[in-house]
Amino acid sequence: MTKIDPDIRIPDPIELDRIEEQRLRSVAGLTPAQAIAGGEYAGFDQVGIPDRPPQTEREREVYTLDEGEMLINMGPQHPSTHGVMRLVVKVRGEVVVDIDPVLGYLHRGIEKLCENATYTTVLTYVDPMDYLSTMHNEHAPAIAFEKLYGIRAPKRAEYIRALVVELNRVFSHGLMMGFLALDMGGLTPILYSFINRDEIVDMLSAISGQRMLFNFFRVGGVNWDTNDEFLSRLGTWRSHVMKNIEMNEWMITDNEIFRARTINMGTLSGKQAIDLGVTGPNLRASGVPFDVRKAHPYSIYNELEFDVITQESGDSYARYLQRIAEIKQSINLIDQIVDKMPHGPVQAQVPGIIRPKPGRAYGAVESPRGLYSVYAISDGGPTPYRFRMRDPSFITLQAMPVLMPGRLVADTMAIMASLDPVMGGVDK
Amino acid sequence: MDFELLLGIGRFVLATTLLLLLTVPTAFVIIQMEMKIIAQMNLRFGPNRIGYKGMFQSTIHGFKVLAKEDTVPDQADRSAFTLAPWMVYMAAAMSMLVMPFAPGAIAADFNIGIVYFFAVLGLSVVGLLVAGWASYNKYSLLGGLRSAAQMVSYEIPLTLSIVGAVVLGGTLSFSELIGWQLEHGWLLVWQPLGLAIFYVSSLAEVNRTPFDMVEADSELVAGPFTEYSGMRFGFFFFAEYVALFIMSGILVSLFFGGWLAPWPFPAQLDGFIGTIWGIFWFFLKTYIFVFIAVWLRATLPRVRVDQLMGMAWKVLLPLALVNLFITAAAVVVFEL
Repeated sequence: MTKIDPDIRIPDPIELDRIEEQRLRSVAGLTPAQAIAGGEYAGFDQVGIPDRPPQTEREREVYTLDEGEMLINMGPQHPSTHGVMRLVVKVRGEVVVDIDPVLGYLHRGIEKLCENATYTTVLTYVDPMDYLSTMHNEHAPAIAFEKLYGIRAPKRAEYIRALVVELNRVFSHGLMMGFLALDMGGLTPILYSFINRDEIVDMLSAISGQRMLFNFFRVGGVNWDTNDEFLSRLGTWRSHVMKNIEMNEWMITDNEIFRARTINMGTLSGKQAIDLGVTGPNLRASGVPFDVRKAHPYSIYNELEFDVITQESGDSYARYLQRIAEIKQSINLIDQIVDKMPHGPVQAQVPGIIRPKPGRAYGAVESPRGLYSVYAISDGGPTPYRFRMRDPSFITLQAMPVLMPGRLVADTMAIMASLDPVMGGVDK
Repeated sequence: MDFELLLGIGRFVLATTLLLLLTVPTAFVIIQMEMKIIAQMNLRFGPNRIGYKGMFQSTIHGFKVLAKEDTVPDQADRSAFTLAPWMVYMAAAMSMLVMPFAPGAIAADFNIGIVYFFAVLGLSVVGLLVAGWASYNKYSLLGGLRSAAQMVSYEIPLTLSIVGAVVLGGTLSFSELIGWQLEHGWLLVWQPLGLAIFYVSSLAEVNRTPFDMVEADSELVAGPFTEYSGMRFGFFFFAEYVALFIMSGILVSLFFGGWLAPWPFPAQLDGFIGTIWGIFWFFLKTYIFVFIAVWLRATLPRVRVDQLMGMAWKVLLPLALVNLFITAAAVVVFEL
C-alpha cells in the first residue's frame, strides 16, 4: 500500500484535451485550418518538421514571418550547439529578430527512471544529466535523501564531497572558457582547457573509479576514502594549476577580438536575470550576490571562508570573468578543505534499501551552472514517489530570446556559449 | 603558320600546365603545415601515421576526396552548383600566371601584371556567390553573401595599399618592380603603412582567420561549401590554400623583394643558377608568411561580420588613401 499525497491530483486526459483545444483557439483566434490558410504563418515546413498549427501565442509570434525575414534552423546537428540543442532563428539579413530554443532531443526520462529506482540507486541515474557537473548532480539528491531519511554524512565524508565538488567546478568553468573561444573561432583555448580537465578527471577517477560519470556519492557518505594516488595527483595538479589557467586566460582575456565580441554583448541586467530565474555565475555576473553556498549553506560551506564574487556589467565578458574568478575561488576553497579535513569514517551506517518515512525533502547545491536542486517526495516505499530536478541550464535558456534580438547570427553562438548551458541537463 | 605564334602557344600551354601542376602540391604542403603546426600549438600530436611523421597525410586526404561521391542537393541549381568550384579554382590558378618566381620563371611577364593579378583574383568571389546561391541552403546563402560583401570591400584597401608601391616604382609589372627594389631596397622600408594595410586586407581577401567569415564553422557550418562533397569540395579547399600561397607570394614580391636574397647573400645571380637561387628565396619568404597565417589561425578568434566591414571602410580605406597621398607627395617633392 502506498500512501498518495493529497496535493497531487491528476486531471482527466480527455478534459485536458478539451481545455487545450479551447486555449489554442482563443490564443490563435483562428481554427488550425484557418491558421494555415491565412498565409502569414510560416509553419514548420521551413525548418524541417511537418506543418501544424501554432500551439501557443509565442510560437505563432516566432513562426510568423514579416517581409524580408527568414527562419534559420540551427541544430540539433550543428558544429557548435553545445550538444543536441536546436535554435530556430528568425533573421532579417544577418540580424536576429527572434529566437526559439527547441528542446527535447536528449530527453532520457531520468526523473521517471529515478522514481522507479531505490534511493541508493537514484544516485547512479542522475550522473549523465548535466554531464559537466556530475558531482553536483549527485550531491543534491544525496542531501535531499539524507534529509528524508534523517541521517547525516560523517564529517570527513562532507569534506571529501566538498573537495570533489569544487574540483568538478574548476574543470567545468575551465571548459566554458575554451568553448566560448571556440564558438568565436579560436581553436586553441579549448584544447588547453581539456588538458586541465584531463588532470582533474584522472584525479577523480583515482578516487571514484570512473572518469566522467563518477558515481561517487552515497546516501550518508561517499563511496571511497581518499587514496594515495588521488592525493599525489591533487598535489601535482595544485602545484601548476594556476599557471595553466593563467596561460589559457592569457590567450583570451586581453585579446582585442575577443573583447570586441563579448563586451556589451548579451547584457543581462540583474533584474532581468532574477525575473528569468537565472542563477549561478550568470546571475552573479549581472551583479546579484546570490550563491547557494553562502545563502543557504549546505555541506561544510559555512566552515569555509569565501566571499560571493560578482561582476557589474552582466555582458558576455562579465560572465567569462566571473568564471575565471570562480575557478580561482574554488582553488582557494580546495586549499582550505584539504587543510581542515578531519579523520574518520566516510560512510554512515545505511541499509542497502532505505525506506524513509512519508514526507518531502529539498536539496539544493550551487552547481557550475547555478542553483541545482532536487525535490523528492517519499510515500514510505523503497523508491521516491516523486523525484523532480531543477536544472539551471534549462532556466538559463529562457534568457536566450531576451538576449538575442538585434544581435547578429554570429553572436547567437557566442552569447549562448557565455551562458554555458549543458543540454544533458536541459533535456534530462 | 607563323613559327613565333606556334612557339608562343607552346610556351603558354607549358606554363599553364606547370602552374596547374604546381597548385596541387602547394595545397598539399600548406594543408599539411596547417594540420601539423596547429596540432603542435594545441599540444596535440597531429598527423603521425602516414609517411615520415605523417608527412603524407594531406596527400592521402587529397586522394580521399577524389574517391568520394559527389552529391548534388535535389533542389540545387545543378549547372551553377557544378560550375562554382571550377570558377573559384580557376581564379586562383589563373592569378598564378603573373607570379614572379624567379628571373626567367614568370609564366607571363605582363607590363600590367599587378592590375591583371587583382582583376583575376577578384573573380573567385563570383564563384563563392554562385556556390552559395546554387546550393539551396540558408547557411550557404548567408556564407556566399558574406563572402561577396567581404571580398568586395577588402579589395578596395588591398588595391589602394599597393598604389603607393606602384607610384614609387613607376611600373605595373612585377619583374620591373622587383628590379626597382634591387636598386632602392625592399619596399618594406619605403611603404610600411602600405604593407600593414596590404597584409590585413590580404588575410581578409583569402578568408583566413581572423577574417574567415565566409566559412565560420561555429555559425554557418561551412558557409558556401556546406552542401559540397567529394572533389567539388576539394576544389574549394585547394583553391583556398592556393590563394593563401598566392597572396603570400604577392606580398613577398611587392614588399619583400620577391626573388631577391637578403643582405649577406648575393641578391641576384645570372643564368640558370640565378633562377634556382631566385626560386629558393621566393619560396622561403613565401612560406614564412604562410606559416604566419597558420600561426594566426591557431591563436586568434574570429571577428564579427559587422566589425570586419567597419574595419575595411572606416580604418583601412582612409589609411590607404593617406598612404597614397603621402607617397605621391613625396614622389613629387623629392623627385624620387
